[in-house]
Amino acid sequence: MFQYVLKRLLSTLPVLLGISLLLFFMLRMLPGDPAQVLAGQMASPDDIKIIRHQLGLDRPIFIQYGFFLSRLARFDLGRSARTQNPVIKEIWARLPNTMLLAVAAISLACLFGIPAGIISAVRPYTWIDYLFNSMALFGISMPVFWLGLMLVVIFSIMLQWLPAGGTGSWKHIVLPSFTLAAFVVAFITRITRASMIETLSQDYTTTARSKGLKERVVIVKHALKNALIPIITVVGLQFGLLLGGAVLTETVFAWPGLGRLIVDSILARDYPVIQGTILIFGLLYILVNLVVDLLYAYIDPRIRYA
Amino acid sequence: MKKIGIFTKAFVFMSMLIAGAGFFLVPSAGAQISELRIGIGIDADTLNPQEHTTTLMQNMSDLINDTLFYQTPDGKLEPRLATGYKVSKDGLIYTISLRKGVKFSDGTPCDAKAVKLTLDRAIDPKMRVPLRFAIAMIKEVKVVDDHTIQIELKYPFAPFVPTLSLTICSPISPAAIEKFGEDVRQNPVGAGPYILKEWVKGDRIVMVRNENYYGSKPTVARLTFKIVPETATREAMLRTGQIDVCYKPLPSNVAALKADPNIVVEMPLSTRTIFMGLNYRKGVTQNKMVRQAFNYAIDKKAIVSKILFDTAVPMDGPVSSILFGYHKMGHQYEYNPEKAKELLKKANFDFTKTVSMRTPQGRYLFDQQVSEAIQAYLQAIGVKAELRTYDWPTYVAGLLKPIEETELEVFLLGWGPLILDADMGLYGQFHSSVNPPKGLGAAHYNNPEYDKIMDASRLEQDPKKRLEILKKASEMVWDDCPWMWLHVEKFVIAYSKKIKGMVVTSTEKFYPTYIKME
Repeated sequence: MFQYVLKRLLSTLPVLLGISLLLFFMLRMLPGDPAQVLAGQMASPDDIKIIRHQLGLDRPIFIQYGFFLSRLARFDLGRSARTQNPVIKEIWARLPNTMLLAVAAISLACLFGIPAGIISAVRPYTWIDYLFNSMALFGISMPVFWLGLMLVVIFSIMLQWLPAGGTGSWKHIVLPSFTLAAFVVAFITRITRASMIETLSQDYTTTARSKGLKERVVIVKHALKNALIPIITVVGLQFGLLLGGAVLTETVFAWPGLGRLIVDSILARDYPVIQGTILIFGLLYILVNLVVDLLYAYIDPRIRYA
Repeated sequence: MKKIGIFTKAFVFMSMLIAGAGFFLVPSAGAQISELRIGIGIDADTLNPQEHTTTLMQNMSDLINDTLFYQTPDGKLEPRLATGYKVSKDGLIYTISLRKGVKFSDGTPCDAKAVKLTLDRAIDPKMRVPLRFAIAMIKEVKVVDDHTIQIELKYPFAPFVPTLSLTICSPISPAAIEKFGEDVRQNPVGAGPYILKEWVKGDRIVMVRNENYYGSKPTVARLTFKIVPETATREAMLRTGQIDVCYKPLPSNVAALKADPNIVVEMPLSTRTIFMGLNYRKGVTQNKMVRQAFNYAIDKKAIVSKILFDTAVPMDGPVSSILFGYHKMGHQYEYNPEKAKELLKKANFDFTKTVSMRTPQGRYLFDQQVSEAIQAYLQAIGVKAELRTYDWPTYVAGLLKPIEETELEVFLLGWGPLILDADMGLYGQFHSSVNPPKGLGAAHYNNPEYDKIMDASRLEQDPKKRLEILKKASEMVWDDCPWMWLHVEKFVIAYSKKIKGMVVTSTEKFYPTYIKME
C-alpha cells in the first residue's frame, strides 16, 4: 500500500509538469499585455516598457519557462505581478477559506444527498422519490448566481437571520455552503439512487433479506456498502471541482477564496498567480483522487493495491 | 541653476492657510465613532501611493499618507502637508513650503528630505510608477531647508500645483522605505489621519486613527473596508446594516436605494468622460462630415436615461463640466438622424461598407449596452456596423497600436482626469504627442494648430488667459469630432442616513475622516 501511495505521488510530478507546460504557453497565447494592464490606462509607453522588463516579460519565452521551472523546483511559485507578493503567500491567504467552503458544502450535500438517494431507491416511483428527484432537478437547474442572490434576499434582507456576505463567524458560511451544496447534492442523490437500486436487486441483498435480517441492516450494511464506490467517486470528483470552481459563490457572498483570486488574476493577466493557483488546483485534484482510490480499498476488501 | 533670489515681483504667491483653515477647525469632541464599515468591490493590489492605478486605492492611500495639497470638491486648493508655493516667472521653478512639526505615524519627521525622497522615487525610471506621466514635467527636486523644497520643471506646466495634490506625490516615511524596502507597498507608513492596522487578503483592510495626526483628530476611530465583489450583495449589506457605506452601487438600483429612508445616495459629476473614438486618420471616419454625422445619429439623452439610469449626463463640451477649462459649446450635436443622413450623402459615404466597432466589457458602466445602442443608432441611418466585444487586457492592447497597424475605426473608451483641470483631457487625448503608441489618444487626432494652442495653454500662468486658450482648443476639437461625444459619468456612493458630513469628490473619492453619526 505504501509503495502504491508513493508511486502515485511520484506520478503526480510528470502530470504537474505537463500542466505547467501547457498552462505557461497557453497563457502567453492570450491577447493582452500584463504590463499594460498593470500600468493602467494612462501610463506612458516608457513606463509600460519598464514594467515589462521588471516582470521579465521581455525575455524569450523559453528562457521565461526555464526560469519558471527552476523556481518551481525550489518550491517557489514566483511573485504576483499585481501585488508583488510571493504567489504562495497569496494562495495561502485564501486556500483555507476555499477548503472550508468546499468541505462545508460537500458535507451538507452528502448529509442530504445520500439519505435522499437511499430513500428514493427503497421507495422507487413513489411520491417521496418524485419529491427528491424534483428537488435534485431544482438544485442542478438553478444558476448558482441566482440562487445565491435569492438566499441573500430571503435570509439576509427579509428575515435578517444571516449575513449577506463576508467572513468572521459560523453564520457567514451558511448561505455560501448551502448555495454550493444545492448544485452538488443533485449529483449525489441521483448516483446514490441509481447505485442503490442496482445493489438492492442483487442476489446478496435477497439472501440477506431471506436470512431474516432487519430491512435497515439490509439497506445500510449490505446494499449501501456495496453501492458506495460510485458514490465516493462522484463525491471525490465534485469535491475536486468545488475546490477550484466556486468562483460565482465566492463572488456573491464576498468569500475570500481562490476562485476570486484566479478570476482577478486572469483579468489582470497576472501570469505567476494564474500558474501557481492552477498548479495547486491540479495537485489538490490529484490528491483527492488518490484518497478516493484508497477509500475504494477500504470499502471493498477485494480491491488491493500493490 | 536658478535660485529663489531671481524671483521677481511677478511671482505668484498663494498663501492657502486661510483657505484651508476650515480643515483644522473641524469639531471633533463628543462625536467619536468607534467603527465605519465600507463595502468595496476589489481588494487593494498595493498601498504604496506611487503604485496605484485605481481611484479607490488612491483614496485609501490618501487616508494613510495624506497629500501635499488637496483639491476640494469644487476645485479649490487647500494646504495639507504643504502650506503654500511660489512660482518663478518662467513657470519652471516651484518653491513649496512644507508644514512644520509634522511626523509620520512611525515618528519620523515629515520634512523636506522625506518629500524629496518620495518625489525622487516617483520620477526614478527604475521604480514602478504607473501614473508617472502625470508628473513627467518634474526635472529635479532640491531641499532648500528643512521645510522648503524647490521643484524644477522640464517645461512650464500651468496646472502643476493641482498636480501636487495627486496621491502619487504623497510622502512616504523614509524609515519605512529603509525598513521594508519595496514591501512598503504592504506596510505603508504615512502622515495621514489613519494607520494601516490589518490587511486580510481578499476579505478586509482595516485602518485605525493616527493619534498623532497633525490635523484635527478624526472622528472615526476605525475604518474597515470590506471587500464585497458582487454589487447586489454590497447593496444588501448596506440595507441590512452590515456595512455603513456602499461604494459604487449599481446604477439600475440607484432609484431603489434613494427610495430607502435609511440610505443617502450621493452622485457628484465625475471627471470621467465616456466616448466613442473615431479614427481621425484612417478608414471611413477620416472624413469630418462622417464624424459629425455619427454624432448627430445618436440620442445621448436616451442613452443616459434608458441605459445608465441617469447616473451620467450627456457631454456638452469636450471635458467634464467640473474641470477648470470646461466650456459649454455653443453648437450642440442634438439627435438628428435626418441631418446625419444628409451629411453622409454629402461625404459620399459608402453604405455598402461595414464599419468596425469595438467595445470593452465590464470596464465602464454598461459599456457593452451603450455600444450596442450606438450600433443600432448607426444602423438606423443606414450604416452597417459590426460590434466586437473584448475583455480589457485584449482591448487595451488593440488601442495602443500605431496608425500603420491599427484596425480601429469606432471604439468605446473612458478618460478620467485625475485633477480638476482640463489639461489632462484636452492634452492627454487630443495632442498629437499622445497618439498611440506614445499614449492612449487612440482616435489619432492630429491637428498642428490644435497642438500649438495646447502647448500655449501649458505656458500660460494667468488663469483667465488660460481659460480663453482652453476654450479655443475645446471649440476646435468639438468641431473636428474625433469622438462621438457621449456622456460624463457620475460617481455614485450610498451610505447610511445616520452619517453626516461625508466628503465626496468628483475625482471619485470619499473622505469619512470627520463624519458625524446620528
